[in-house]
Amino acid sequence: MQTYKALAALLSYPGENLIGAARGGEIEAVLTAEGLLDGKCIAALKPLLQELAEWDQMDLEERYVDLFDRSRSRSLHLFEHVHGESRDRGQAMVDLRTMYAQAGLEIADNELPDFLPLYLEYLSTLGAEQARQRLGQPIHVVAAVGERLKRRGSSYAAVFQALEYLSEAKADRGELDVLLAEGDDDPNDKARLDKTWAEEPVTFGPQAPGTGGNDCGRIKQIAERIAAAKGRGKDAGQSSARG
Amino acid sequence: MSHFLDRLTFFRKNVGEFSNGHGIVTNENRGWEEGYRARWQHDKVVRSTHGVNCTGSCSWKIHVKGGIVTWETQQTDYPRTRPDMPNHEPRGCSRGASYSWYLYSGNRLKYPMIRKRLLRLWREARETKSPVEAWKSIAQDPEKSRDYKSRRGLGGFVRASWDEATEIVAAANAHTIKQYGPDRIAGFSPIPAMSMVSYAAGTRYLSLLGGTCMSFYDWYCDLPPSSPQTWGEQTDVPESADWYNSSFLILWGSNVPQTRTPDAHFYTEVRYKGAKSVVVTPDYSEASKFADLWLSPKQGTDAALAMAMGHVIMREFHLDRHSDYFQDYCRKYTDMPMLVQLKEKDGVYVSDRLLRASDFEDGLGQENNAEWKTVAYDRKSGAMVVPRGSIGFRWGDPGKWNLEDKDAEGRDIELRLTSLYDKDDVAQVAFPYFGNRKHDYFTGTDHPDTLVRNVPVTRVELADGTEVLAATVFDLFAGNYGVDRGLGGENVAESYDDDVPYTPAWQERITGVPRDHAITVARAFAENADKTQGKSMVIVGAGLNHWYHMDMIYRGIINMLVMCGCVGQSGGGWSHYVGQEKLRPQTGWTNLAFALDWARPPRHMNSTSYWYAHTDQWRYEKLPVSEILSPTAPEGDWTDYSLIDFNVRAERMGWLPSAPQLDRNPLHIAGEAEKAGKEVPDYLAEKLKAGDINFACEDPDNPVNWPRNLFVWRSNLLGSSGKGHEYFLKHLLGTQHGVQGKDLGETGEQKPKEVAWHDEAPEGKLDLLVTLDFRMSTTCLYSDVVLPTATWYEKNDLNTSDMHPFIHPLSAAVDPVWESRTDWDIYKSIARKFSEIAPEVLGVEKDTVLVPILHDSPGELAQAMDVKEWKKGEVDPIPGKTMPAIKVIERDYPNVYKRFTALGPLMEQAGNGGKGIAWDTKEEVDYLRRLNGTVVEEGPTKGLARIETDIGACEVVMSLAPETNGEVAVKSWESLGKQTGRDHTHLAVPREDDKIRYRDIQAQPRKIISSPIWSGLESEKVSYSASYTNVHELIPWRTLSGRQQLYQDHAWMRAFGEQLCVYRPPIDTKSIKAHLDNEVESNGNPQIALNFITPHQKWGIHSTYTDNLLMLTLSRGGPIVWISERDAQKAGIEDNDWIEAYNANGALTARAVVSQRVKEGMALMYHAQEKIVNVPGSEITGTRGGIHNSVTRTVVKPTHMIGGYAQQSYGFNYYGTVGSNRDEFIVVRKMKVVDWLDDPESPTLVQDGQQAAE
Repeated sequence: MQTYKALAALLSYPGENLIGAARGGEIEAVLTAEGLLDGKCIAALKPLLQELAEWDQMDLEERYVDLFDRSRSRSLHLFEHVHGESRDRGQAMVDLRTMYAQAGLEIADNELPDFLPLYLEYLSTLGAEQARQRLGQPIHVVAAVGERLKRRGSSYAAVFQALEYLSEAKADRGELDVLLAEGDDDPNDKARLDKTWAEEPVTFGPQAPGTGGNDCGRIKQIAERIAAAKGRGKDAGQSSARG
Repeated sequence: MSHFLDRLTFFRKNVGEFSNGHGIVTNENRGWEEGYRARWQHDKVVRSTHGVNCTGSCSWKIHVKGGIVTWETQQTDYPRTRPDMPNHEPRGCSRGASYSWYLYSGNRLKYPMIRKRLLRLWREARETKSPVEAWKSIAQDPEKSRDYKSRRGLGGFVRASWDEATEIVAAANAHTIKQYGPDRIAGFSPIPAMSMVSYAAGTRYLSLLGGTCMSFYDWYCDLPPSSPQTWGEQTDVPESADWYNSSFLILWGSNVPQTRTPDAHFYTEVRYKGAKSVVVTPDYSEASKFADLWLSPKQGTDAALAMAMGHVIMREFHLDRHSDYFQDYCRKYTDMPMLVQLKEKDGVYVSDRLLRASDFEDGLGQENNAEWKTVAYDRKSGAMVVPRGSIGFRWGDPGKWNLEDKDAEGRDIELRLTSLYDKDDVAQVAFPYFGNRKHDYFTGTDHPDTLVRNVPVTRVELADGTEVLAATVFDLFAGNYGVDRGLGGENVAESYDDDVPYTPAWQERITGVPRDHAITVARAFAENADKTQGKSMVIVGAGLNHWYHMDMIYRGIINMLVMCGCVGQSGGGWSHYVGQEKLRPQTGWTNLAFALDWARPPRHMNSTSYWYAHTDQWRYEKLPVSEILSPTAPEGDWTDYSLIDFNVRAERMGWLPSAPQLDRNPLHIAGEAEKAGKEVPDYLAEKLKAGDINFACEDPDNPVNWPRNLFVWRSNLLGSSGKGHEYFLKHLLGTQHGVQGKDLGETGEQKPKEVAWHDEAPEGKLDLLVTLDFRMSTTCLYSDVVLPTATWYEKNDLNTSDMHPFIHPLSAAVDPVWESRTDWDIYKSIARKFSEIAPEVLGVEKDTVLVPILHDSPGELAQAMDVKEWKKGEVDPIPGKTMPAIKVIERDYPNVYKRFTALGPLMEQAGNGGKGIAWDTKEEVDYLRRLNGTVVEEGPTKGLARIETDIGACEVVMSLAPETNGEVAVKSWESLGKQTGRDHTHLAVPREDDKIRYRDIQAQPRKIISSPIWSGLESEKVSYSASYTNVHELIPWRTLSGRQQLYQDHAWMRAFGEQLCVYRPPIDTKSIKAHLDNEVESNGNPQIALNFITPHQKWGIHSTYTDNLLMLTLSRGGPIVWISERDAQKAGIEDNDWIEAYNANGALTARAVVSQRVKEGMALMYHAQEKIVNVPGSEITGTRGGIHNSVTRTVVKPTHMIGGYAQQSYGFNYYGTVGSNRDEFIVVRKMKVVDWLDDPESPTLVQDGQQAAE
């Protein structure tokens, strides 16, 4: 499935190989030949391909660094969006590596397992159906980054649209909104910020909610909180890209 | 039926309850535990810690799974210390626990980065030119260099290969050395103790080039100059476990639970043992909650409170009632019995310098250094004597430099503390008073400029036959406190309620602390010390030390401790924990770090003076000397000079270092001298005197004197520690800035006398800024080349702290990810590249190095009596005496890499040592040859011990240092014993065979070995406590008198009225006037003026962790400024509003935290919150809002420039100007328009002023 490989290349740092391929029409040829993408997707990719072919390399590099290296909300590392600072991130990466290993792949480059182009390269080694399926797992992250690029009017957005098109699962709008709201923090929205930072008022003593009027009921209160947190954790688990 | 078969024989039924119903048996499904267990599975656990800017040195387990760091947890296996002491573990805090996030974060630096505009110029040039030529063609073309300099801080980075990045750096270095000289290359990296090999990597490279290594402790204003002044020691403090030995703890301007989190448990625990605690902070800090009594003085007035407490202690424990312990202590361990000459001025007397043996006939029998031996009256013989231990005995009197109660000849003596009972006369002595100086925001009193008080005196006949009056330090000291000693006269208090400086009633007006609180605390503090022989302790912090007159606050407290005999006693003393972070194996490390194995001495520079000059902050100086000069100053032209003039004079006299040093390339001087047929020192002294060669500091704005290349590593110089941030941007970097004020040229004020003035101030002095970091910090944003370094879990290094006695490793749990490399490897690769390309323009060169007069060297006895300046023609320029020493050093530029990776021959030839103690180290070098292997390649390093890897470098440090090699410890104690005439080896002999190696500390942190480099002991009997060996081994302090020096008699100290501790109000920085006078356009919201305070924070260690969402979530998610409820009301500000703070120095934007915690009149902004997270545009500057340092500017103090005078001699990070910043005021107002500038995802917000005012 060279389409995945081609899209991975487009999301990689613009080096000489990529520029050469863009100039030689190699990428477009593969996309057209394989036919996984429809004409609309391929047409949408043309501005990016053209820029890669025509722009000065260092300008391309500068744009890439500004878009992807210097931003957390547009990071190409999938778990930046899913796990952020959470300690689950390490384990999730370990799981991903195991998945690659099971497919007989070992990471040769200095990259992390959750790097999107790397993940796409992995998909390119799978069968079409399985690849479509696996692409669906992180699709909401892909969609969120794509959305942000679209807002910036970046030609890179087309790559993410193509990925959304390829994916079997479509990004759930609700989930996407959650993600967009989180990563794209708008410090001006005071009401929302206040809500985010607001701490629940704590009441001590037997009258505290959830204690059932009993001092020892505090334990119950904690248990309730854990249960609530578990509920949230479950959702997060489903949306993570675990193999 | 017996039911026998119904009963169970071998089982019993689940019993339900047991232990009288306290226990219950349950039978839930425990399947959930599996998930938990799986979560904690790992492949390996590696010990590491967190590396640059935190004193914690906490032991952490780094869990690695599948080659990925998954998390960290606290380690719990510290060695035991002493019986009856609580455990050290677990150490750590929420900040460290979130560190592993950095490794894989989107903020991580992954590749070498170069600003596109520079890289494009470089690649164009490199098509046709060699590397050095290519750099020259860019750096010397004003168009080209402006092109990339003006884009600093504005993004535009691209990735580069290591090869290309190191080539640019090496080429810039080589060109700079050739064109301007190696001293135009500088490097800034702080706090080596926390990752000493990473620090050493950079300074080793710089030192092999002849580059400038910049100090940090003084620049951070963490250096307390009062410590070198009093003890001749940079800073030495008790370990935190020693708090547990105390029974009265004052926390003064230190917020232990918040900023010393892993140590705070000792503070908690000792309170269970019954210790009392008083906390002194203006704000209701976290520490305040621990207090039995919380005192809340107005910020910056602490010296007044300390003086009032000293007044009570003096009255009740030294005069009304004599504590035998206190008196003995003061007689033996302080300069209090020493005699001070009084000089007449305007009909009264002013205390002058300490009398010396040379003042008397025959020098009182002293032939060696008689000018440097202090004198006292001996009760036993009834005559003047020269007690042992003064600095004159340190050099050239082997066996006599000790604190035994003996005079120079070995006769037993008993020194007289006071002449009150056998006085010859009573003199009227004038003490300066500064508390009446006007300040818009600090309350003063209306007492006169000089307070004349009666002091008992002795008549003394000098060698020239004149008779003078002399008083003991004790009598002057008591007079200074304003206590009535039965001699009557003015300005003395009979009661604590008298309005006389320094009574408790007097301080009440200034500090706001009720007088009875001051009295109670002083009394309890001293009473405890009297009963326990010194177990009263004061923990002091940045809250005190960051003021311009920090010396006065600290000396006020030191006086209390010394009067009560607490210094040098377990559980007592002065505990300053600010940025100190002790590098325990120092004498092993300095060789590696400053390449002393190849050339001595290195180029060291005090950063405060450097930045003050080179970022042109001096051009905006608003503090005339007249505002700080003492009314009792000796006659002189003091006020003709401005602050930078004092610095220039100090540099020329060899008191402070210079960088760059001369107005020409130091590689050319040796050749010129040879041509002239003269020795280099003679030649240079002659040329300086004739004015043919000048000091670079006399014209810092001249392009030949600019710093050209700067390395920053392990530091966020621009985002965190750059006081006068906007001046850095404007003048050093030449990019967008927010400087608001006008310079002296524009305002027409008094310009410096010794420094050339250029009407046009330079912008963009620096050709190349290189930063090594693991995250994209503010400094990286402003750099030309950014190199990705390993995190603290990806490298091998050493870590020691002053907070605990263990040496701890940083370990590579995983290899550096992406393209990052360890600091050691980065500098090694730069060195390699440099050696490849330098031969194009550089070979073996002779470098002429100016060395300031150094503390702990015989040179520290430079000018004993008066200050004589060669520039004024008062004396000849004599290198090492009246000007810097001059050394010629051979630089082998083509072999920098080879030298970098091998232990040079000077170790065997010149030996090792530190702090004035020297020993032979051939055995250790031989040991290292066997341990690290020898260089086998042909060349100048063949056969030398290798230093190839970071672990190899660790072994060099630990093998050479007494703290980690018992044999060396014994040798060093032996060496000291020769000076003191006493045997100290018993302190180390029990551990003679201990050799701590890197792998040992990876297995478990190890206790260091007692060494004479430090003044405390690490033993089975006592916790580490500073000055312990001075008191218990009778080793003198390294001061003029050899004792704790409470009387500072240098001419410049006297000029500024600081012979003794006095209260000095904060200075007026005059930076808000223009804004208050509405010269700046109003945005419609009211303005208030607030004192700007920048304490250490809760959610980060300086700027580290402040970009971590976990920590941001715990705070407010971006920059915040705390203000009081009353001030908020005045300015119509509500909690969480966006506000702007500004003054002549620049502007910053932040959210307001409105809190009862804060005292009215002050604003708190935690140090340090960066520009990279949630900072909107400023309404004042029109550019992105600044950081906390955007509204600060450094102001230097002349007394910190003194040199060549015993303990007041220069040492790296030991003495020198400090970057104080708490006297600064800001104007605060609510922002109207919150504009995120070019960020399309964040719309502009208009804050409704009306709504907030409701």
